[in-house]
Amino acid sequence: MKLLRRMFRMHRIFVVQELKRMTEYKSDFIIGIIGFLLAQLTNLLFIWIIFSQIPSLLGWSISQIVFIYGFSLIPKGIDHLLFDNLWSIGYFIVRKGDFDKYLTRPINTLFHIMVEKFQLDALGELIMGVALICVTLPIVGIEWSIAKILLALAVIPFATLIYVGIKTATAAIAFWTKRSGNIIYMFYMVNDFAKYPATIYNNFVKNIITYIIPFAFTAFYPAKYILTGENPLFNIGMTVIMSVILMFIGVVIWNKGINAYESAGS
Amino acid sequence: MIYVENLRKEFKKTVKEPGLKGSIKSLFYPKSEKVVAVKDISFEVPEGEVLGFIGPNGAGKSTVIKMLTGILTPTSGVCTINGRNPRENRKSYVKEIGVVFGQRTQLWWDLPLRETYGVLKEIYEVPEDKYKKRMAFLNEVLDLESFITSPVRTLSLGQRMRADIAASLIHSPKVLFLDEPTIGLDVVVKDNIRNAIEYINKEEKTTVVLTTHDLADIELLAKRIVMIDKGSNVFDGSISELKNRYGQIRELHFDTDTKNAEKILSYGQHFNFEPEDLSVECEGSQMKVRFNSSVVPVSEMLSYTLGKISVNDISVKDADIEEIIRRLYKQGVE
Amino acid sequence: MRKKLRIYVPFINAGMQETTTYRVNWLFYMFGNVLGCFISYFIWNAVYNSSENSTMNGFTMPQMIVYIFLMFLTSTLVSSGGTYDIGEEIRDGSIAMRLIKPISYNATFLFQELGNKAMTICILIVPMVVGVEIVRFNFTGAVQFNILYFLLYLVSCVLAYLINFFFNICFGFIAFVIKYLWGANLMKNCIVGFLSGQTIPLAFMPEVLEKVFLILPFASLNYTPVMIYIGMYNGTTLLYFLGLQVFWALFFWGLSKLLWSVSVKYLAVQGG
Repeated sequence: MKLLRRMFRMHRIFVVQELKRMTEYKSDFIIGIIGFLLAQLTNLLFIWIIFSQIPSLLGWSISQIVFIYGFSLIPKGIDHLLFDNLWSIGYFIVRKGDFDKYLTRPINTLFHIMVEKFQLDALGELIMGVALICVTLPIVGIEWSIAKILLALAVIPFATLIYVGIKTATAAIAFWTKRSGNIIYMFYMVNDFAKYPATIYNNFVKNIITYIIPFAFTAFYPAKYILTGENPLFNIGMTVIMSVILMFIGVVIWNKGINAYESAGS
Repeated sequence: MIYVENLRKEFKKTVKEPGLKGSIKSLFYPKSEKVVAVKDISFEVPEGEVLGFIGPNGAGKSTVIKMLTGILTPTSGVCTINGRNPRENRKSYVKEIGVVFGQRTQLWWDLPLRETYGVLKEIYEVPEDKYKKRMAFLNEVLDLESFITSPVRTLSLGQRMRADIAASLIHSPKVLFLDEPTIGLDVVVKDNIRNAIEYINKEEKTTVVLTTHDLADIELLAKRIVMIDKGSNVFDGSISELKNRYGQIRELHFDTDTKNAEKILSYGQHFNFEPEDLSVECEGSQMKVRFNSSVVPVSEMLSYTLGKISVNDISVKDADIEEIIRRLYKQGVE
Repeated sequence: MRKKLRIYVPFINAGMQETTTYRVNWLFYMFGNVLGCFISYFIWNAVYNSSENSTMNGFTMPQMIVYIFLMFLTSTLVSSGGTYDIGEEIRDGSIAMRLIKPISYNATFLFQELGNKAMTICILIVPMVVGVEIVRFNFTGAVQFNILYFLLYLVSCVLAYLINFFFNICFGFIAFVIKYLWGANLMKNCIVGFLSGQTIPLAFMPEVLEKVFLILPFASLNYTPVMIYIGMYNGTTLLYFLGLQVFWALFFWGLSKLLWSVSVKYLAVQGG
């Protein structure tokens, strides 16, 4: 409990530092946010153009697809907002030997790295995600119950954890190879699969994004439950289980990686 | 306090043959070989001592320091501080040490310096009242006041180094590791930093491990030296011991009117000096003769010189530590 | 001329070394992008299955598959990373060093990037083309490979690369105005990706937009080479689009020269 309180305190302090930093580079952050909004916008245009050709995609209407897409942006955006610094582990912190300083501090290295940066660019994704959900909600016709609302909200941190776990595991590979940014990138490309209904893929791909690199649980399965109310045990329960397993794997690899860390220079 | 025994560290290094062919080959058959950075190092440092840890480039100094600070995991051997092992409980271990890497900074680059200390206070869990006292003390020793509100990226190298040393001391560590703390600084700033280190060592009984290429740092601060080369101990002892053991080098300085004095004297032939035991420099009428006094005693050199030529002014000097170490490094390389 | 080119050989070499040093990373990066292709493939697959027409805006299903993979090949071949490098140099001021060196910055960078690309070209082009041809053979039952179109495709790719190279250099000069190139670059990539047909064939756009987009330089980057390969352009149309590519390549080359000379003057005033 004491540890948890300390972690929150540390997190708050780093966020405050980051906000101070941002006030020095205001225009940069605005450009970043617009950049991410734009990226989502082109994806939406793609969906819209496709649907101008067909009435529905294998039984999914455009509003349902957009809802799933919007939902996928929420955990992704939160991960991006809070834990983006893991990318720098993969790209340069380890390679340049800058990881040294984290090891000389009396605080968990993974936690320190994760909370040190605060990526406001992610607002581009979060704003778009919330907007898309708000626009499509009245159209898709969801039957709401209190349990459903609670589950829908509770699943978001777990869906985010799937991102964090995969990113931790792949970033930690840099401790052995010096650079793992592109491995993270590869896994992140897989997450694009999760933005669309898993039913459009063949069984092979479906199994991979469900059981091996389970990005489908960051968006499609939870969103499907919200849309249809089907099978909460699998759609929500598995999201929770997968996130815990992945985070565990991530932490184990990270801790092994620290022992293999070679610093830089002589 | 610090205890190091049979410390060893191996790295894996990918080897690549040169040229395009080599590049393509290594794409499909990557080869790696074992590199021993630290072969076998042992030493101890008692509490409150300033230890000069020296050696030529690539000797393995940084690797040892990084193992001692918990950054690298040793391949084998022991290193402990107060009986604690960095691998067993890293967090409580690093709370007792402070580290400064001269070529790197731990300060937050974009923020005013004060913010760094605020964050470090939280990381090291320093209580508010202690922190205030500590900052006042550090400010007095390192004179941070004039730039504490400036963003770190705008600081000069000297200011940044002072700020970094202060950052490493904020939690009152028992041991301070300084890796090249005066690198790239001008004479005045070097002096300030040395004074500050000396003061902190005296005031707080902080144990200091200092690696540097500037031997003036060592001469002014360290009572004891551990010298390593190629990953092994070469020397361990006090500076006077070093001088006694290796310091038979003397310098003869004199001024002469005799022309061709160097030729007339021909020390090398006369005394049968080995080349590394003798060097003669001649600048106009000034001569500087550096020789090994265990081969030829000083008195003999003097009487020989005075008998051969007319000398106006003559003096004999002990070689300085820099000269000794230079010779040791050279021997190590051969 | 030969002697002049020889001074750039070390840069080609350095570029090749760079890729091989981080070879595993490079493979992962490529693999990540191939995965992106497969997402598009599955989506289009579902789209054609949901549609009553077998042809959409002139594209049949196999043509669309071929389009997706050729788009990936083309965009990899013509990609260029000048924006970051030049932006970084502007930011840390080392661009001033470029001005005192006796060789052209554009040329050194161009050759280094070609070295970088050598491996991509060797490893990617043959399997991709073979794969594409197998898909086409499978669907039509006849060999569709046309050596003339293929050669024209390569010519078009070279032109596209030059356009992209100079365009990216020009864009890098934005660093004089904006510090945070990452965000600006992301915006650029989105717009370019969309307007060059990477996201969706330009033929799917409303007709007016399509006409405008085809004239813009972005279509020349990816869309034109791919359309040439799959035989959508013939005769005068083909010549027209190749001509347009030449025009844009010259345009951005000229613009980059202009920006260089402006920034030299600017740096002279600023004193570096």
